[in-house]
Amino acid sequence: MGSRESLGTILTISGLSIASMTALYALFEAPSVSGGWEAPEAYRILYFHAPFAWLSFISFTLLFIGSIMWYTKRSEKGWIWFQTASDLGLIFGLGVITSGPIWGSVEWGTPWDWGDLRLNTFGLLTAVAMFLVLSRRSQPDTSATRDTLSSVGLFGFALVPISALATTWYQKRHPEVLITGSEDGSAGMDDEIRIVLILSFLILNILFAGFVILSNHRYLLASKLEILKSELDEGLI
Amino acid sequence: MELLKRASLVGVVMSARRLLSARGLNVSRGTRIVLSGIDFNLVEGEIVALIGENGSGKSTLLETLAGLHPMSSGYVKRHDLGEPKLIRDSEGSRGNIAGFGLTLQSDGICGEETVKERIDSALKISGVIASDDDIESILSQWGLEHRAKDNVSQLSDGLRRRVAVLAGLMPAAMQSEPTVVLLDEPSEGLDKASRDLLATWLRALSLRGNSIVIATHDSQMISVADRLLSFDSNGSLNSSQGESLGEISILPSPAKKFDASRFFEFINWSWRMEKRNPIDTVGRATPALVAMLLAFTLVGQIDIPQTSSLSTHVGNDLIAGLVLAPAFITAIVAPALIKRLAEERAGDWWRAMTGANSRAMFSIGGASFILPIPIMYLSWFVIAGDIDSSTNDEVLKWLWLPALSVIDISAAAAALHLMVSDLNRSSAAAGSLLLLVLIWPFLELTSALSTIMESGMTFELSIGEPLSDILISSFSAILVWGVAVIIPED
Repeated sequence: MGSRESLGTILTISGLSIASMTALYALFEAPSVSGGWEAPEAYRILYFHAPFAWLSFISFTLLFIGSIMWYTKRSEKGWIWFQTASDLGLIFGLGVITSGPIWGSVEWGTPWDWGDLRLNTFGLLTAVAMFLVLSRRSQPDTSATRDTLSSVGLFGFALVPISALATTWYQKRHPEVLITGSEDGSAGMDDEIRIVLILSFLILNILFAGFVILSNHRYLLASKLEILKSELDEGLI
Repeated sequence: MELLKRASLVGVVMSARRLLSARGLNVSRGTRIVLSGIDFNLVEGEIVALIGENGSGKSTLLETLAGLHPMSSGYVKRHDLGEPKLIRDSEGSRGNIAGFGLTLQSDGICGEETVKERIDSALKISGVIASDDDIESILSQWGLEHRAKDNVSQLSDGLRRRVAVLAGLMPAAMQSEPTVVLLDEPSEGLDKASRDLLATWLRALSLRGNSIVIATHDSQMISVADRLLSFDSNGSLNSSQGESLGEISILPSPAKKFDASRFFEFINWSWRMEKRNPIDTVGRATPALVAMLLAFTLVGQIDIPQTSSLSTHVGNDLIAGLVLAPAFITAIVAPALIKRLAEERAGDWWRAMTGANSRAMFSIGGASFILPIPIMYLSWFVIAGDIDSSTNDEVLKWLWLPALSVIDISAAAAALHLMVSDLNRSSAAAGSLLLLVLIWPFLELTSALSTIMESGMTFELSIGEPLSDILISSFSAILVWGVAVIIPED
């Protein structure tokens, strides 16, 4: 096992282990929120919902970088980043759009709001990631295919700032980011909740780094394998 | 590759039994008569090359022998299965035949299949089970072992053609009893090494008694043939003796036979493709979820007086319709199977292999079995979950019944989509207009769910009772399915 693969494995395993413990802590030990919440216990899902959203933004940023690298330089490395980022964008995007409606249905009384910009742009981001993953797996791996999918990847990234800033520009239902408290001091969070939330962010970032390293390594090997297979295609009979 | 010297076979095959026969074939493509009064016999161990200019009718004859084209008169029969069995006749009847060797001019393979799966499918549909070792050894001989687990869509054109040709040869290569092999331009797109290998396999298969028809322009394939059939300008055939040249390759040992269920093999194939690339599930679930959330938003806009509840304010019929609509949408979406079957004429390959009732099989394979029940329950929870009604428990207990009927509707919709897809320019046909007929079963289900919401589930079979409505819905869907499946076949 190479050093990079070992690092990826260690980060992934430790990330998964600590994330499981954090999940248990968040579910059973973290204090309940008080004041102005319709479903004060259901907020615990946000310990994962918010970091998932952050990581899917990171994924789409990586997707943008990979798309640019492929589009401008035909870089194989760029395509490897594209593949990893679209996979992770789908995984974490699905995490967000399944955990969000569960919380929304009890807190807001509705799982979805067609008028909320954040919700809808995030749904679209995840749909783009799913399109990219399914298309990558089903289409012939040609330059034309990569060009088309890269352009969709660029489009996907355009949604990231819209989605990220939606609660600032156009808040309707989705709450603002309140990890440090609101400007007028009227809203904020309990210190213990804040610590658990920051811890959750850190751990899931470690897990994400492990995924990225392992996935990149995997796609690099797949790329090398494909070159070897192509060489074998000629003259095996 | 070890080669044996070829034996002289031509004299032997002429006295052998028939494996395939056609009588009085008249086949038109549009207004043009392509085959006129063709009689054709294929005897055991014979290799026949169909030669002629482009458009002379080679492919049409080969595909007619495979049962793919309607004919205005005549019939095609196979004799390799003991008693003679009809492949197709001018009445539109098609027999229940076992699979055989077939390579179409297009590869006939869906890109989502892996190389090994394709070989495996071609064998199983012909009633042959080969061990993994046997298949790997043959793939190795054909230079495909390193691609065994790759999707066919990832292969170069030449390799894909090699897979298609090998899949056409395998049923004959692995059977102990002689069978029929039909190959349309098999050497087109193959490199020289593959063409040489193909020629040696053809001679070896012939030596085992298999009968082979090749439509070809390739001089090497023509030189392998024992008999040449060339087409006249009036659509009739001229026969001449071939050269029967070529070395003989060593073939794999025959494998075990089993009673293949063509239906099971097709459904299994269809399910594997969907598992690998779930575009059918995604294509159905996406509009259903959007509809569900839109319905939820609409319901949320209704201003309900405090003294009333949603169901009493807007009526059960509306809520039932909104709850059923997402599942209904999953049912009527065009199945991804149609696109898979259209790819490289994969559908024609399966039609030839499955024989009679292929459209019935396709429509069942293309129906949505997984989604209607979970979508229906999810829809209930999202749209009507907070209805305070004494019959809520009854609805939850029996909601799966109308969902089952939605599966019937889905099979009927798939059959309609398939019927339209058989048109020459199906993309130019407004097939969605035909789907309007399925609104009737939908309304029956709406009535059933509304009644359950109103007064609970009852099992009386009188008009207006929920069970009757559900049965009428299913029956009318089955009727539509039957019309779409049976009439065009016959």
